[in-house]
Amino acid sequence: MMEFLNFYVVPGIVTGSVYALGAIGITLIFGILRFGHFAHGDLATSGAYLALGATALLGLTPWAALPVAMVLTALLAYGIHRLFYRHLESRPKILTVIASLGIGMMLRSIVQVVWGVDPLAYGSGIARAQAFGPLMLRPREIATLALTLALVAALLAFLRYSKWGKAMRAMSDNPDLARLCGVDNDRVTRLTWFIVGALAAASGFCLGINTELTTMMGWSAMLSMFAAAVLGGVGRVEGAVVGGLVIGLAEELSVLLVPGPYKSATAFVILLAILLLRPQGIFKGKVL
Amino acid sequence: MKKKILASLSVLALGGAIASAPAMAQNVKVAYLVAITGPIAGMAPTMVQSMKFAAEQVNAQGGIGNGGKLDPQVYDSGCNPQLATDAATKAVNVNGVIGIVGPSCSGPVIAVANSVSVPAGVLLITSSGTSPKISTLDDKDLVFRTVPSDDYQGRALARTIRARGIDKVAITYLNNDYGLGLAEAFTDEFKKQGGTVTASRAHEDKKASYRSDLAELAKGGADTLVVFAYGNSSGLTILRQAIENGFFKNFVGADGMRDEGMVKTLGPDNLKTLLVSAPAGATGTGFEKFSKDFKAAGGDPNGTFAATSYDAAFLMALAIEKAGGDKAKLPQALREVATAPGEPILPGEWAKAKKLIAEGKDIDYKGAAGDQEFDAHGDVPGDYVLYKVGGSGFAEIERMK
Repeated sequence: MMEFLNFYVVPGIVTGSVYALGAIGITLIFGILRFGHFAHGDLATSGAYLALGATALLGLTPWAALPVAMVLTALLAYGIHRLFYRHLESRPKILTVIASLGIGMMLRSIVQVVWGVDPLAYGSGIARAQAFGPLMLRPREIATLALTLALVAALLAFLRYSKWGKAMRAMSDNPDLARLCGVDNDRVTRLTWFIVGALAAASGFCLGINTELTTMMGWSAMLSMFAAAVLGGVGRVEGAVVGGLVIGLAEELSVLLVPGPYKSATAFVILLAILLLRPQGIFKGKVL
Repeated sequence: MKKKILASLSVLALGGAIASAPAMAQNVKVAYLVAITGPIAGMAPTMVQSMKFAAEQVNAQGGIGNGGKLDPQVYDSGCNPQLATDAATKAVNVNGVIGIVGPSCSGPVIAVANSVSVPAGVLLITSSGTSPKISTLDDKDLVFRTVPSDDYQGRALARTIRARGIDKVAITYLNNDYGLGLAEAFTDEFKKQGGTVTASRAHEDKKASYRSDLAELAKGGADTLVVFAYGNSSGLTILRQAIENGFFKNFVGADGMRDEGMVKTLGPDNLKTLLVSAPAGATGTGFEKFSKDFKAAGGDPNGTFAATSYDAAFLMALAIEKAGGDKAKLPQALREVATAPGEPILPGEWAKAKKLIAEGKDIDYKGAAGDQEFDAHGDVPGDYVLYKVGGSGFAEIERMK
């Protein structure tokens, strides 16, 4: 039983948190800007490597470097919007989707040019688990879960209670109506990219600190993040969180039933099943 | 008048020379199929350079046949079966090459052999495809390699580990030709030596967590984990999570796990129980000669697959010379020039080899990467060394048998 919790459930939840942080960004872009952002994985990779850069240049500990990386990635996300996506806004959305694939490759290549293609880590050595009763947890896992909880709570509160959060939700519901009611669409878009960039950095950082930093890390994780976003309901932040946890757990638990190489396929299967059976997702998001 | 006659005579002579030139000096086209793009693109420049270097030596020392030249054409195989097949089709069917050196990577070798080179009766010598699956291709003796099969490494590793008193292991391998080939060879030999494999599971690359995979593997009660993966990818994550959670005490890997970056990341102190095998660096007079010549030409003789690529290209040229440019005789000719007995030929000794072949004498090429004695499958045996982690890198423990 304890083995089940420690080696299947705990890793599932930690991986799920990483997916959740990524899926929130995807679902926000889907909901508010209405396109599938395929550079999201590589945005997360960029965030993870920017944190690494901050530890090296500023001498910060990895966790202290995270806020720096979040700010930088937020600016990066907004910069990408200004330089590329904004020019495609009035064109069919599929152009932006395909452009985002290209942006993803550009980001990945820049990371490869700056940091190389060999895997890197925030710190060397290994961390053995500490016992919490029967549970075996590592400090970085506790920190990952706490960070996810804090960010999600803050984001939900922001969307619910603040003026700009409400504007974001309004634009998600109906951008034209929102504009008629005096919502500045440009400012909402800018705000969305800042939030999305910061969350992507957090997601990449958590993935990196729990494993290693590789230039393909975000791209590889992105399919699971998309599955999580769709599973939870497109546009629904709480849905993305639940979706992320479900996908993370499903991947880890799948090895009990199917051979290991099918781990990634689990996310595919769930994505397919959801699209067929309940396209609005668990939390009744937009139907794509 | 005299001048006119002279002039017309010389024109005639010139015309005659031009007309007879193709018959006397037949150029021979061969394809150098290398993964210039794709995942091993970093190794490609050295491979191409050493192949071309072999061709330059051939052409500088008399060329092919009676005044002909070796005409190497470089194609990109992309380490991708589809790209490699397209390039090979163009080389064989459009440009009419009579031999292929390459392609890089195991998957493309199998694809090109099955769909292009074997049906067309074209000789193929790869310098970097290591999968054991290449040995068992139905290749009509047209597929050779100058790099040892992973089958040798898997078996040598199994015997060495067994001889060190380890009798129970669990195996996890990357789900591709490399991982599967090693795992099959290792499992077979380990069982023959009386060992037990408690579990053998494939894994997918690039996942964030392998703890559930490891928990499944640990259920059999083995305390040694054999990892056939890459130490700059899933191998690193698996090792980290296995050590952190205490799933296994001892770890064994093959050449993919001999990664200094991995040692740096995990810390050498945590990897005291890791043993890895890797091909022994080339030694001997053949390598020394190649090393000296290639360095003088601005190449790096220790580059990955540099020596094997040189041998593949040089052997192809020797076989063409021996077969007199006859495509159908190439495989037989290759075996004759590469295997003992015969007058030893070292890398770069083209003029000597050409003379001996012309005299009808048997030669035996002693290559840069080894003796290059092909077995029935067209494979060459390999030398492997067992390493442990020492300092911040790897230290040799013993030569493996």
